[in-house]
Amino acid sequence: MNRLTQLRALIRLDLRLFLSDRRALIMLFVVPIGIASFMGSLFGGSGTKNGKSGAAGGGGGMDLVLVDEDDSAVSRGVVQSFASDANFHVQVTNSTVAKDWVMTGKRPVAVLLPKGFGADVLPGLFDSKRTPELTVWHDPGRSMERAMVEGILVPKVIQSVVANAVNPELGREQIRKGLARLDARAAAGTNASGDKLLRELMTRADDFLASRPAGSLLQSSGTNSGPASLPLPFKTQSVPLTKSRGGEYNGYAHSFAGMGIQFVLMSLLDMSIGLLRDREAGMFRRLRSAPLTRATWMLGKVGSFTLISLGSLVGCFAFAMAVFGVRIEGSIAGFVGCLICVSLMAACLALAIAAVGGTPAGTRGAGIAVLLLLVMIGGAWVPTFVFPRWLQSVSLMTPTRWGVDGLDAMTWRGLGFDAALAPIGALLGFSVLLAGIAWLRFRWDDE
Amino acid sequence: MNAPILSATGLVRRFGERVAVDGFQLEVKRGEAVGLLGPNGAGKTTTISMLAGLMKPDAGVVRIDGVSFEGEGDPRKQWVGLVPQELALYGEISAMENLRFFGALQGLTGSKLATRCGEVLEIVGLSSRAGDRVKTFSGGMKRRLNLAAALVHDPELLLLDEPTVGVDPQSRNAIFDNIESLRRAGKTLIYTTHYMEEVERLCDRVVIMDHGRVIADDSLAGLRQRASSAGRLTLELSAAAATDARWLDAVRSLDGILGAELTGSTLVLEAREVHSGAARALDCLAAHGVRVTGLASHQARLEDVFLQLTGRSLRDG
Repeated sequence: MNRLTQLRALIRLDLRLFLSDRRALIMLFVVPIGIASFMGSLFGGSGTKNGKSGAAGGGGGMDLVLVDEDDSAVSRGVVQSFASDANFHVQVTNSTVAKDWVMTGKRPVAVLLPKGFGADVLPGLFDSKRTPELTVWHDPGRSMERAMVEGILVPKVIQSVVANAVNPELGREQIRKGLARLDARAAAGTNASGDKLLRELMTRADDFLASRPAGSLLQSSGTNSGPASLPLPFKTQSVPLTKSRGGEYNGYAHSFAGMGIQFVLMSLLDMSIGLLRDREAGMFRRLRSAPLTRATWMLGKVGSFTLISLGSLVGCFAFAMAVFGVRIEGSIAGFVGCLICVSLMAACLALAIAAVGGTPAGTRGAGIAVLLLLVMIGGAWVPTFVFPRWLQSVSLMTPTRWGVDGLDAMTWRGLGFDAALAPIGALLGFSVLLAGIAWLRFRWDDE
Repeated sequence: MNAPILSATGLVRRFGERVAVDGFQLEVKRGEAVGLLGPNGAGKTTTISMLAGLMKPDAGVVRIDGVSFEGEGDPRKQWVGLVPQELALYGEISAMENLRFFGALQGLTGSKLATRCGEVLEIVGLSSRAGDRVKTFSGGMKRRLNLAAALVHDPELLLLDEPTVGVDPQSRNAIFDNIESLRRAGKTLIYTTHYMEEVERLCDRVVIMDHGRVIADDSLAGLRQRASSAGRLTLELSAAAATDARWLDAVRSLDGILGAELTGSTLVLEAREVHSGAARALDCLAAHGVRVTGLASHQARLEDVFLQLTGRSLRDG
């Protein structure tokens, strides 16, 4: 008996059945692409180009509403500082509209700069009774955005306050008042011995300030925009540490890996439930009446499931590359190796779940619970670096984590083939383990 | 030529405490058509599973052409074609694709596979629907394709496990025609059913099973001879007797009476031997003061033989 002929027939049959099932095709190709596109846009989109990417969204910055009831130089400085910050998308309005937007969830945070804020803020440094109060209205469900705004509000207010406090116009005003007092003392004949020297000093200072354009005593904080402000005493430089040429995180690369794996697992679970239904319907009696061994049958299933999931993942990444600019920045061989091993692991996992579940109903219930846990802990939904440390350790025990990490490493992280070896090894190990469970537990006969 | 193509010796199969098949014996010669009869739960399907090599007996041995099965991948399985009771077909693909798949599992490839698929579709009259998805077929067409899938590798021995379950009369006749043509072609058949008329039409030998045991193994003629003495009596009783049937249990307990049913004033008796049974029943009724106004006896059928042997009807659960 030619086992290869049987194997080919088994694999061809599954592929044919899969391709004839429109629902399965949608589930495996359209749904993951749709959800991965959505998730990718939530988690940073396709990179940090133009400085527009941030935690809040892909491109437009975080929505922030400002209400400037003070309309002083200080409050205008704060508004302008936020407006020129690429991390924020600022809208200025009145307090009624701002509160309504926040209350209805249209905007996450609004800041009220009250009347008298500019006049009171500097004296408030020395007199706690005059400390003005800023109000931050926020959506209770968006506390992360609130914390971000509160954190960044402090330096922006201080910059604006100090910039206005050391305004050169104000300095010249003080010099003029001083020279007037010297003139008065000279007229009264009560000038002191050092008055001549002091007059010369003040006159030179006034000349210096007069030579400076208004508002340019301090360095500009932005490149071309924004008022003169106090420069920070240090600079920060953000360097994304990847080996990719662009050096940019691509949220789509991660989400297509995660969602691709999730929907492959879900679809294969559905197919393995189909096997159990076939058994209930008596199909196995016919299969086993042929000179077909259990090993050949199982190999055929692993083969066809692997090919189907491979096709799905390739389709997902092809879409992500064409539409969202995802690139294999690392090793192509490593990427292919990870894809194959993820597919193999998914095939073995689906068979193992069916083997342990035993019946279609039992497998569906338990299978969905197991898969959701695996994809959640494995970082298919959100990157594992946001997990607590203990959960990150736990997630290493899931095959999905290795799959997602491997694909991430080969795409946006741009790592070499050596970085794919650990995920490939782990995935192969999981495949062997799961295939062993399937082999031991799958009820091939109807006894 | 007369050597058995199939022999089963002392087959025993247990499921836990329950003995499903208990010492089954059978020899089938080439070209023979054997009907395996029995009510539900008699052990027919378990027996077929062991004969087809799907199930390992706890005791006993099955030999195909003198050689016992060795493992699930034994090439000798190609000698056997199993038509399972269930419709074991893939509905989402075409009839031809189904046959190509099952043929490939039997080791057929290339032009031989294509030729055989075409031939069996022709045999079961589905050539014109070869490319259609099976899920669009009627129940009868699916049954015929179910038969075709067992024929694709041209087996010597065909095991048909209730192949007409749930089929309309027209499709049933079509399946009978197919099976009769296979008989004419010299195929060996083992046909399980609980329809006596199917066995009478298709088989020349009948094996009756009950509670996992063979209780009769004879030719149709031999079984009919046994049946000639068995039969049914219909007695018309007085109206008064019908309203007070306390005597009925006494009649049922008579030796040689297999069953007694009272419907209105008509009493139907199944008797192991019609003449002695009639005499005993009439005596009993007289003793209970029941007046008999009419008496008729009926020609025994194979169904009555089954009742005679097992004490229950073929279609009992």
